[in-house]
Amino acid sequence: MKLFRLLTPLLLTVVAVLCFAPAAWAFCGFYVAKADTKLYNKASQVVMARDGDRTVLTMANDFQGEVKDFAMVVPVPTVLQKEQVHVAEPKIIERLDAFSAPRLVEYFDSDPCAATDWVEQAPAPSAAVRGGAARERGGDANLGVTVEARFNVGEYDILILSAKESGGLETWLKRNGYKIPRGAKQLLQPYIRSSMKFFVAKVNLDKFEQSGYQFLRPLQISYQSPKFMLPIRLGMINATTEQDLIVYILSSKGGAEITNYRTVKIPSDTNIPLFVKDEFGEFYKSMFQTAYTKEDKKVGFLEYAWDMGSCDPCSAEPLTPQELKQAGVFWLDDNSENNLSVPPNFRRFPSSNVFITRLHIRYTRNKFPEDPMFQQTSNQESFQGRYILQHPFTGEIKCQAGREYKRSLPKRFEQEAQTLAKLTNWNIQEIRNKMKLSVGNLTYSWWENFWSWLGLY
Amino acid sequence: MLFKDIRDYQILFLGLFLVLGIGTRDWTLRPELIAVAIATCLSTQWILSSVICKGQITNLRSALISSLGLSLLLRTDHWTTMAFAAAIAIASKFIFKVGDKHFFNPANFGIISALVLTPDAWVSPGQWGEDWWYGLLFAGTGGMILQRVGRWDTTAAFLGAYSLLEAIRNLWLGWTWDVYCHRLMSGSLLLFALFMVTDPRSIPNNQIGRIVWAICIAILTFILRNYFFVSTAVFWALFTLAPLTILIDVLWSAPRFSWFWESSTDKGDSCRDAINRVSTG
Repeated sequence: MKLFRLLTPLLLTVVAVLCFAPAAWAFCGFYVAKADTKLYNKASQVVMARDGDRTVLTMANDFQGEVKDFAMVVPVPTVLQKEQVHVAEPKIIERLDAFSAPRLVEYFDSDPCAATDWVEQAPAPSAAVRGGAARERGGDANLGVTVEARFNVGEYDILILSAKESGGLETWLKRNGYKIPRGAKQLLQPYIRSSMKFFVAKVNLDKFEQSGYQFLRPLQISYQSPKFMLPIRLGMINATTEQDLIVYILSSKGGAEITNYRTVKIPSDTNIPLFVKDEFGEFYKSMFQTAYTKEDKKVGFLEYAWDMGSCDPCSAEPLTPQELKQAGVFWLDDNSENNLSVPPNFRRFPSSNVFITRLHIRYTRNKFPEDPMFQQTSNQESFQGRYILQHPFTGEIKCQAGREYKRSLPKRFEQEAQTLAKLTNWNIQEIRNKMKLSVGNLTYSWWENFWSWLGLY
Repeated sequence: MLFKDIRDYQILFLGLFLVLGIGTRDWTLRPELIAVAIATCLSTQWILSSVICKGQITNLRSALISSLGLSLLLRTDHWTTMAFAAAIAIASKFIFKVGDKHFFNPANFGIISALVLTPDAWVSPGQWGEDWWYGLLFAGTGGMILQRVGRWDTTAAFLGAYSLLEAIRNLWLGWTWDVYCHRLMSGSLLLFALFMVTDPRSIPNNQIGRIVWAICIAILTFILRNYFFVSTAVFWALFTLAPLTILIDVLWSAPRFSWFWESSTDKGDSCRDAINRVSTG
């Protein structure tokens, strides 16, 4: 009896472990389309490659006005020198976007009368729309403002300012030709008092014309600081609507999350009607808005978390080591020893040294008062926004199993319609109507249903 | 007898939070890890108390509370890490004690050990969100337990000191007050303040001692969070200052807390006491 008592908890442990051993995740299906950031008119994109307290921050502006009017003021944790600022290739952000975008995949049902299991057939040619134009964004001592550094990088003139008080900084910026929105003073103060510096960039028109670029290239800065946050609040000053921010966090450890707001996975892995193939962008936008409203507009959404060595299905090829370096990954060469010190039992080693987390934050002044703070975790769980089209078998059906399969289809379509309505808040009746168009040859007359119910058809 | 012991309520509430967490907060909570935490805590408690206190009836409530606390707060990629955290949490009660009193909160000890000693543990402080109704739920259920064990003072001192410091900082920085509310309404902070920092068994016995101790934790939390940007500041603060309990108990002496209504039953029985002296989540 004594032995039994002691054994029970141990046994419990073993049972628990056996029952819940992590199941292998297999995502497949054929990639057909992606919902990338081109869907949104105004989506800022930021790439943060971080290891320890070292960060490389790439900022792609969504600036769409005259280049000469472009100016940005970004609070940064440290004084930056010229060698810490670079101009990044705009293509890198597009690559990250394409790689991590929510995706639409297709499956094709096999012939239910064939003896084989479900075999996937070759997909229809990819409907993904590619190409299109690259979308970019584009000393006055008594004021208490110090110019810590002044240099130019590419087509940008850069100033690093430190300030003692916000009024002085505002005046200084205005005097030097920066258009500062009303209300900036109040918002600059907390950053000044947190001893942050200001990274100020303007376009040097001569150099811009020489460069031959039509759009502003992203700015990339590197610094060392325990602060792992994005100062988004300044950007809310004159915003009248919700703003979208896509943050790509590249880490050597695992997934990243927000520490002062909830990080919520975007709904994923659901079967939706076939007609969505032609309007995937609209579907994703509606679904995002529905999820955003449901979460009371105060969460950050996880759209993708994956080891960058692979993807399944791939909406774009994984980035090459060269491209990863351009995206700011600075540890590719020098961290081989780091992994050796990790005790072997605790971790499944990733196949590459870069893990990407794509967070989509839609924010407004009243629901997102505080700047988001982030943390890297060792969470290796893969996640992707993935939506499934399941094509029914359309060939001739001659067996009993086939008739049962055919009978099961209307229920499946109805389920897909309901899922779509729930995800997007679209009208279910309209969805049903649209579905009839795309699966017209699979509707049944009442007598077909009746005979099949009797098992005679 | 069920619900005679206050800890039964605590188990009920923590279990409720877990269900709520999985149901409404769509976390990375994984049932298999919860099972591992519970099984490991219970078995460790069972084994250690059988070895150290032969022939005693083992009370597993405290171990269950620790495991629920770990499940709520600790995230990990692999079950071995959770098992390690759970085992070391319970073991800390038997190892780190002065006289008859252990001074580390077991769940807190498990969390910090896992964060430091394993490569794949983390805490998700943002995942409780900052909804008012969660705050209300925590305050209600936590308040009910604190009322019974008489440890309201500790929560009040901790939250009072912490919110005062944050208010001063907010005023100085010039943030609007919604930023302040957002920082204080964090579900994780409330969960900590109501269910962890108040563990009557490992915290100082004397009321003044407890208040001083809670204020020290609040100050350290504030410093770690705002000047060192540690997202898990509360857990580090409690861990670092836990040994201070011994000193405070010497300075301000008071009778030790007992879970039993008839406190005479566990007097003079140090072994049984060691088993029953437990933590809250």
